[in-house]
Amino acid sequence: MGESNEDIDQMFSNLLGEMDLLTQSLGVDTLPPPDPKPPRAEFNYSVGFKDLNESLNALEDQDLDALMADLVADISEAEQRTIHAQKESSQNQHHPASLEVPDFSGAAALGYGASVAAVSVSQYEDDLPPPPADPMLDLPLPPPPPEPLSQEEEAAQAKADKIKLALEKLKEAKVKKLVVKVHMNDNSTKSLMVDERQLARDVLDNLFEKTHCDCNVDWCLYEIYTELQIERIFEDHENVVEVLSDWTRDTENKVLFLEKEEKYAVFKNPQNFYLNNKGKKEGKETNEKMNAKNKESLLEESFCGTSIIVPELEGALYLKEDGKKSWKRRYFLLRASGIYYVPKGKTKTSRDLACFIQFENVNIYYGIQCKMKYKAPTDYCFVLKHPQIQKESQYIKYLCCDDARTLNQWVMGTRIAKYGKTLYDNYQRAMARAGLASRWTNLGTVSTGPPAPPAPPATGLKTGTTQANGQIPQAAHSVSAVLEEAQRHAETTKDKKPALGNHEPGAPRAHQLPKSSLPPPPPLRRSSDVCGSPKTAPRAKGPGGGFPAPPDDSLPPPPPPPPLEDDQLPPPPPDFNDAPPDFVPPPPPSFAGDAGSPLPPPPPPPPAPAPEVAKPPPVGVKRPPVPPKRKENPAPPGGGGSGEQDFMSDLMKALQKKRGNIS
Amino acid sequence: MAGMKTATGDYIDSSWELRVFVGEEDPEAESVTLRVTGESHIGGVLLKVVEEIKRKQDWSDHAIWWEQKRQWLLQTHWTLDKYGILADARLFFGPQHRPIILRLPNRRALRLRASFSQPLFQAVAAICRLLSIRHPEELSLLRAPEKKEKKKKEKEPEEELYDLTKVVLAGGVAPALFRGMPAHFSDSTQTEACYHMLSRPQPPPDPLLLQRLPRPSSLLDKTQLHSRWLDSSRCLMQQGIKAGDMLWLRFKYYSFFDLDPKTDPVRLTQLYEQARWDLLLEETDCTEEEMMVFAALQYHINKLSQSGEVGEPTGTDPGLDDLDAALNNLEVKLEGSASTDVLDNLTTIPELKDHLRIFRPRKLTLKGYRQHWVVFKETTLSYYKSQDEAPGDPIQQLNLKGCEVVPDVNVASQKFYIKLLVPSPEGMSEIHLRCQDEQQYAHWMAGCRLASKGRTMADSSYASEVQAILAFLSLQRTGGGGSGNHPQGPDASAEGINPYGLVAPRFQRKFKAKQLTPRILEAHQNVAQLSLSEAQLRFIQAWQSLPDFGISYVVVRFKGSRKDEILGIANNRLIRIDLAVGDMVKTWRFSNMRQWNVNWDIRQVAIEFDEHINVAFSCVSASCRIVHEYIGGYIFLSTRERARGEELDEDLFLQLTGGHEAF
Repeated sequence: MGESNEDIDQMFSNLLGEMDLLTQSLGVDTLPPPDPKPPRAEFNYSVGFKDLNESLNALEDQDLDALMADLVADISEAEQRTIHAQKESSQNQHHPASLEVPDFSGAAALGYGASVAAVSVSQYEDDLPPPPADPMLDLPLPPPPPEPLSQEEEAAQAKADKIKLALEKLKEAKVKKLVVKVHMNDNSTKSLMVDERQLARDVLDNLFEKTHCDCNVDWCLYEIYTELQIERIFEDHENVVEVLSDWTRDTENKVLFLEKEEKYAVFKNPQNFYLNNKGKKEGKETNEKMNAKNKESLLEESFCGTSIIVPELEGALYLKEDGKKSWKRRYFLLRASGIYYVPKGKTKTSRDLACFIQFENVNIYYGIQCKMKYKAPTDYCFVLKHPQIQKESQYIKYLCCDDARTLNQWVMGTRIAKYGKTLYDNYQRAMARAGLASRWTNLGTVSTGPPAPPAPPATGLKTGTTQANGQIPQAAHSVSAVLEEAQRHAETTKDKKPALGNHEPGAPRAHQLPKSSLPPPPPLRRSSDVCGSPKTAPRAKGPGGGFPAPPDDSLPPPPPPPPLEDDQLPPPPPDFNDAPPDFVPPPPPSFAGDAGSPLPPPPPPPPAPAPEVAKPPPVGVKRPPVPPKRKENPAPPGGGGSGEQDFMSDLMKALQKKRGNIS
Repeated sequence: MAGMKTATGDYIDSSWELRVFVGEEDPEAESVTLRVTGESHIGGVLLKVVEEIKRKQDWSDHAIWWEQKRQWLLQTHWTLDKYGILADARLFFGPQHRPIILRLPNRRALRLRASFSQPLFQAVAAICRLLSIRHPEELSLLRAPEKKEKKKKEKEPEEELYDLTKVVLAGGVAPALFRGMPAHFSDSTQTEACYHMLSRPQPPPDPLLLQRLPRPSSLLDKTQLHSRWLDSSRCLMQQGIKAGDMLWLRFKYYSFFDLDPKTDPVRLTQLYEQARWDLLLEETDCTEEEMMVFAALQYHINKLSQSGEVGEPTGTDPGLDDLDAALNNLEVKLEGSASTDVLDNLTTIPELKDHLRIFRPRKLTLKGYRQHWVVFKETTLSYYKSQDEAPGDPIQQLNLKGCEVVPDVNVASQKFYIKLLVPSPEGMSEIHLRCQDEQQYAHWMAGCRLASKGRTMADSSYASEVQAILAFLSLQRTGGGGSGNHPQGPDASAEGINPYGLVAPRFQRKFKAKQLTPRILEAHQNVAQLSLSEAQLRFIQAWQSLPDFGISYVVVRFKGSRKDEILGIANNRLIRIDLAVGDMVKTWRFSNMRQWNVNWDIRQVAIEFDEHINVAFSCVSASCRIVHEYIGGYIFLSTRERARGEELDEDLFLQLTGGHEAF
């Protein structure tokens, strides 16, 4: 317990430090608190969560920080509120944090009403916790675990403030935001705040920073319609919120973050798409390889002219007949204006072609297991449908190719015809991003290495407890902050989302440390954990994704009886939760399952997690801390490569050990 | 100088008499006889001729043409001996620039002076400079097809012939702009009119004319055109062109470099015209859907050009004209917003409410249209049983975002239906609205259209959309509203455009005008917001993305083959095409080409590609010099770079396209 407290202390002190800085930079004015409940109606969804609480929780540890960063970066805008919050937070520092939190979640619950759906919709304004904590003070507080509480409270308070600020900010911007749960390729998930202006590209950048993957161009957001068994790659220029808004509330659709080489296959090997049909015989071998220069000129020719060239593509495909399970073979041709087929008894000259579909209102998807589901002749199917259609319908068109190569050609060809040069622009942007990332990685590892160890003392923030393990995160944080700073300078081109993009990077970056074989491990993640951790949920997540939970020995008995649910009661559970991720994940935030009753179901801490463990994926995986170490950890470095992961986990173990000793 | 003689009149030097005709190759022309020797320089001869003529005139453009050798004697320092000229040489002293009649890509005729003595490449460059068309290397001249005698009389007289023969261009310098046009056009009203003809799209052709004009019925027919190209490396005189002959100016190489609406009004317009005629005369085939888009663009372009909304600043005097333009713009904007204000200044959220008849096609439903109270607000359509129930729950509410709007209109029978195909998660739901009159229809239709694109009626384009719909309806009334499959005669009135003038004749045969109109209207909604040059550019781009675009066909016989085949030459490849079926047999790309040779004696072109692929063919329908020039021309065009601007490496061009005499 002690150990975990120290962590919290540490983080809390970080927080205080940050706040001090903030206040200084802000000057000291007291402004009236903002309206508690602004009348404006703006709504937010969460995609991929069972309910609001879950999404909020998931959101907090990761994204509130980001939002905070946003705030900080954009002080002028948020000035008043920030100041206000600062004051409050300092006033309230010693109030039990749990107060604030429960209130918040309660409000949230109210606002939400029924939260059965996996996609929850919340009325953020309504959720807005009344800014000041004062009213809450009167509330009978579930007495949290006594001692550590004060600190935890503060942390929680701070977090509550953050939530408030973030929400204020949201409201202010009047920007629709979604909390999106993104499934990583290791079965873990990450929750992201995506606002309506963000393109898939922005979200990817955001994920790059969160996961510290290699940022190569194959990474993509991928949508899966579980029910329809279709899936597709998000185009980088697509507006994510817009796409997700088409999902129904009870959808089982998922968003994935993974590498798909199909994404930009045409730009890597244009010859496979552009030179394919010509010269069928000797073509095959000669087309396999092409030197870079020829590729480039081929691309230039195809994408840089006055108009782009759509690959010549034609051939017999199977078409699923409307509403039936029979498939008819027809001869199809791809043109810039759509997909056409040759009517019976006609030739394939332009004048005889009949239009099968035009691309304006449809997206193209890969069909999965159509052979089984629809008795398709092969499993190489693609599907065209209006993006809003979510259920089986005669308006969904299924086509089936003879082989994978043909399938890829059709899908890519259709994308080229539909998106035109945009696709190429996306690719070039992705390339630039990948290039930047690799340069940055080098820079990062070099510079982080040495400074890391000395850093702890250097960071002069108020540190309540100067424990070894407490400092580590601190160090890491400052380092990452430095890097961040550097990065900010470096990438001037980076887009408008300074917050999500730039501040957060701290976290992933921290993970680089281990790479350089230096120990300062559990950095940012950790700190963010604390600041944003009134709830166990995030907690659980935090450690997993971020790092080093305290060693097992620190396993504190499940903290007593905080009458309030975990989400409200920050303190105890989180900590030990961190500790024993492998074993008895204690605390769990049951809110998820409890749908809508954020309030007080006494927290049977231990049990809660258990079920969760059992059914991670279906529930929404929100609480995937279960397999934390192995699964979640990799997530961040995930992209980085598999080799790294082992190394990382080793390192973590070592670290935990060390910590355990110390405490 | 020559001409020394004795007292008896005998010449004592080796001089002889040279007869030079004055004028343009007219055997009856006056002639002068000079006494010359083999050593006389051409320059001296010229001087003497001028002296002999004894007429005051600017002779600077005159030079001597040697008829038998079909050669200009342009090297004034060369002697007669060096040229090999003897007393029997028939020499003509005539102007190097002579008037020709150019048939422009827009099918209008223009008289101007062209150089008869420079290689065609230079002559075309000079013509293009006069017409202010950049990148003259993409154009060339064709002989006019031989006319069939019969129809001559009816058409010829009415044609307006623009005359630019008086215009003299200062050499070398790019013409400055004056009053929005190159300075040399602003001299007189005639030339100004000429510039407008060049830079503005022509109205749609008379459908009857369209039907009469020859159209290719097979690939073989399409090869005819390409036998008429003139030689780029020889001058007009050498190719048997006489003063006053009609020649066609056309874009020959389908590789349009740096097409810029701002600097290229004439080029863009002429290219658009060529594309338009190419499609209308079915030189390039397209599908029905594509033709509707082309028709809609033509309609839109014509509308803009008629109304004088040229849309973009057509090159201005930096000072006043800019200001004027700005003021005009402002005016337009103010007007625009004013008109919408009228509509909706009272209710900030504009909405439509009315009684409409609604029909929902469903399986097993035979019910017809029923009257409902329909409210259209933002992008949502709700309908109620009656107006009284309006505050309550509607029978159904449909968000039209992303829906398909299909008009079903017949003015003659007062039928104004709007068919909506509204996407929903379950599929598409279909609903038909029936309006009472044009006004109601136009307003609802415009609302639906905007809503389908996610815009509300508050959008500034709403009013113009309504107007466009009304205009189109009136078009249907005047133009094709009649019963017939029979195209009406020319209908030049501003409003009434015959839809038959917008589509290729085969669609005239396939559709009645009243069927055509709504389809064009439907396609029009996607382009209605484009400016004139944007629309032209869009047209060109759509033309370029047709699979058959930019292929020049020649009948050839491949070595070792016993039948004629077609060789298609495109900007990046050669295509072997089966003459009978029209299938592409094989494609060779220029980027893989090692070298090509022409054996002029046996009229055979031999090409070597990478990996020892050799192709040889003899040319049947056109001289092999035309094929050779096409290949060389495309290679030349591919060497252009933006950095070099508009400077032309003429030598390289001639080297690549010239025949043996070029070396």
